[in-house]
Amino acid sequence: MRLGIPAKIHAFTLIEMMVAIATASAILGVTLTSSIALQRSFNALDNYFATHMQQIRIVDFLARDVRRGLSVTSSFDQQTVTINIPKYIIQAVDSDATGSNIGTPRSPTRTYVSVPGGITGTPDINYGTPTSSISVVQYKVSGSSILRTEDGIVTTIASSTDNLIPKTIDTELANTEYTTTSITFKPISVADRNGTIVYSTAYLRNRRRPPTP
Amino acid sequence: MQTKRNTKETGNVLLCVLATILIVSIIGATVLRNSTTRLNASSTQVRAWKEALSAAETGGDIGFAELRKQISSDSTVRATQWSTTAGWTNSETTHVSQVTTFGSDNLKARTVVEACYFDTSGVFHLGANPDPNANSWYRLRSKGTVPIVGLKRTGMDDALIKDGRAHFAPIGSTAMQDITARGNGDSLLRKIDFQYDHFVATYGRNWDDPLSTRNDPAAVGSTPLISRRIEQIVAAVTPFFDAAIKVSSSFYGLGSAAWIDSYDSRNGPYDPTVKTNPASPYYKDSRHGSVEINSGTATIMGTIYGDVGTNGGNVTKKTANVTGTIDNNVPFTLEDYQMPSVTGWNYQSSLTAVTGNQTLTPPAAGTSVAPIYYLVSSWSGALTVNPVTIMTGTPPVSVPQDTYVAIHVTSDISGGNAGITVNPKVHVKIYFDRNMSVKNNNLINQNPSLTNPIAGNLQFYGISPPRDANGNPMWTQTIDLNSGTPAILAATFYAPSADVHENGNPDFIGTMVAKSFYSNGNISWHYDRALNDEGGLLDFRIVSYVEDTR
Repeated sequence: MRLGIPAKIHAFTLIEMMVAIATASAILGVTLTSSIALQRSFNALDNYFATHMQQIRIVDFLARDVRRGLSVTSSFDQQTVTINIPKYIIQAVDSDATGSNIGTPRSPTRTYVSVPGGITGTPDINYGTPTSSISVVQYKVSGSSILRTEDGIVTTIASSTDNLIPKTIDTELANTEYTTTSITFKPISVADRNGTIVYSTAYLRNRRRPPTP
Repeated sequence: MQTKRNTKETGNVLLCVLATILIVSIIGATVLRNSTTRLNASSTQVRAWKEALSAAETGGDIGFAELRKQISSDSTVRATQWSTTAGWTNSETTHVSQVTTFGSDNLKARTVVEACYFDTSGVFHLGANPDPNANSWYRLRSKGTVPIVGLKRTGMDDALIKDGRAHFAPIGSTAMQDITARGNGDSLLRKIDFQYDHFVATYGRNWDDPLSTRNDPAAVGSTPLISRRIEQIVAAVTPFFDAAIKVSSSFYGLGSAAWIDSYDSRNGPYDPTVKTNPASPYYKDSRHGSVEINSGTATIMGTIYGDVGTNGGNVTKKTANVTGTIDNNVPFTLEDYQMPSVTGWNYQSSLTAVTGNQTLTPPAAGTSVAPIYYLVSSWSGALTVNPVTIMTGTPPVSVPQDTYVAIHVTSDISGGNAGITVNPKVHVKIYFDRNMSVKNNNLINQNPSLTNPIAGNLQFYGISPPRDANGNPMWTQTIDLNSGTPAILAATFYAPSADVHENGNPDFIGTMVAKSFYSNGNISWHYDRALNDEGGLLDFRIVSYVEDTR
């Protein structure tokens, strides 16, 4: 007696194999493409948010220094911001530093100055020594990084933002001053930096002084 | 015969499904983890850091509002200043507020208010101003704290470890100058206290709590915190401020041979040679004899060792004799002056009129904020005010005490003999409702001596006339200072509604704030820079703001 071969265990025909391979390739291709796209999208999104966080950090750094500042100026190309701030904390390099007072706050001193267009005899409150009462803080675009320099000490506060556009508004007659800043970056996903801009406005808390160090 | 089914084929499908779920889950978990980190940093930490500054500035506002209770016309408001029931802890001139919690994010604010002053060299001192005529300044140190809910995570870009640099240094160490000593990235900016308050642990509690009544623990507890601290210097706003003469209307003066300069009585008596001697250590104090005019009508005579400011004016005559700058864009306003509240002042009924020659010795010394107070309905005579004395030492001797007197005159002060003699240690403020017409030499200030008087000890305040329905003053107020020799007139005048005529040529020490001013006498006028902190307290203002970023 000869048993018949069940149809289930018959080998695929060539056509079946080709169809199966084509279908499988398509599925694999779609999966691979999707994975890569997903990975790229994730990377782009991760980079976007990470850079956005750096934008916020720059804005926060700037706003903190502007609030406590005595003057703010921006360069002609709007890539550098210079802020004079009171020298509140005694540093080791200061002439009045001793072993025990480094890192402690100074007591203020008072002088009277005449302010053109303002009140004569306006009191200036200073921190620091008579010859050095101001710390100069500078924000500067360097390549794709933004550097913060305080009395010569450089800190890289952001490394993937590359466009600092400050606009310092001097409204001395109104006895105030504020600075607006916009910061952009170029996302890795698209060449267009539109849509990445972050604006910030910060006001001086102190009466503005002439921006001389 | 039936062939057995191959079960391995169904197992492959299950494995594939599980593997797919695993891969998708891993991708999802990674995305969630990153998103959570971003959210934690951007939404929680950034928000808390910004809110901490708001809280600190709120603390400053609380302290400033408490200071301004001092100038309230409501005695019940003044009585609540630094109230312990409101949570203030007080020790002499230091006041620590309670912790105020507010906002949906449980922001906490606390402030320390300390009286302070600056000496003649501009050096800062804590404590009340030792000058009995002067007002104190204040230092406000405020701390704002915000709890950080959510994950105890540092920021995304922190590099607190394994970067080969020191991130912590003991106080006093030279490493503290290195700004990287506190970390990089977000940690350098937003100092989050996860376990311990880094500020308290490093620098102690004195900044936050000089009275040591709160004893904040260095450990922050289970919830991380962000704290920010600001320091503000608050100045007293007084009627006189580095201006020898200040008028809201026209100005003419002085005589062609007159001069206006300045000095600081805290450095000693006036010296006429200083203003032309740059080598003098007090030379800079001699060039503040400024004239401020809030109109365009300004005729300058004599020499002014200071600045001249007008409001769109055209200064004429001897403009070349102004050593400082002439600025024609200095507008200002002089508000009407009202009689301050006398609640809390020590009223005495023993003097109601000044006629003939009268001597007044108050029953008590009083204080600058609660003087001995008299209400006078007429003044045509000469009044001599003596200080209160106490017997002290062995053998006992009579020692005069700083004595504070306030006199409210509801009528004119006028007459050939009308005047006042202020003896040493006496501080007099005279508030007059109507006019004043006296001889220069009848205003005698002997503090500390007749030849070296201090203007702040004799202060005149012209109460502004009430206004009618149209807003016009109901009468014109005048001050006539008439010729009389010899005359060293050392006094201050704050009468923003008065027309002033100085008809003599005295040696004037002090300042004049009025509606208009006219004089053609050859007066030598010396503004006393000690007056910058003196006079009736009008308000406070913040003159310095700095954040402690340690």
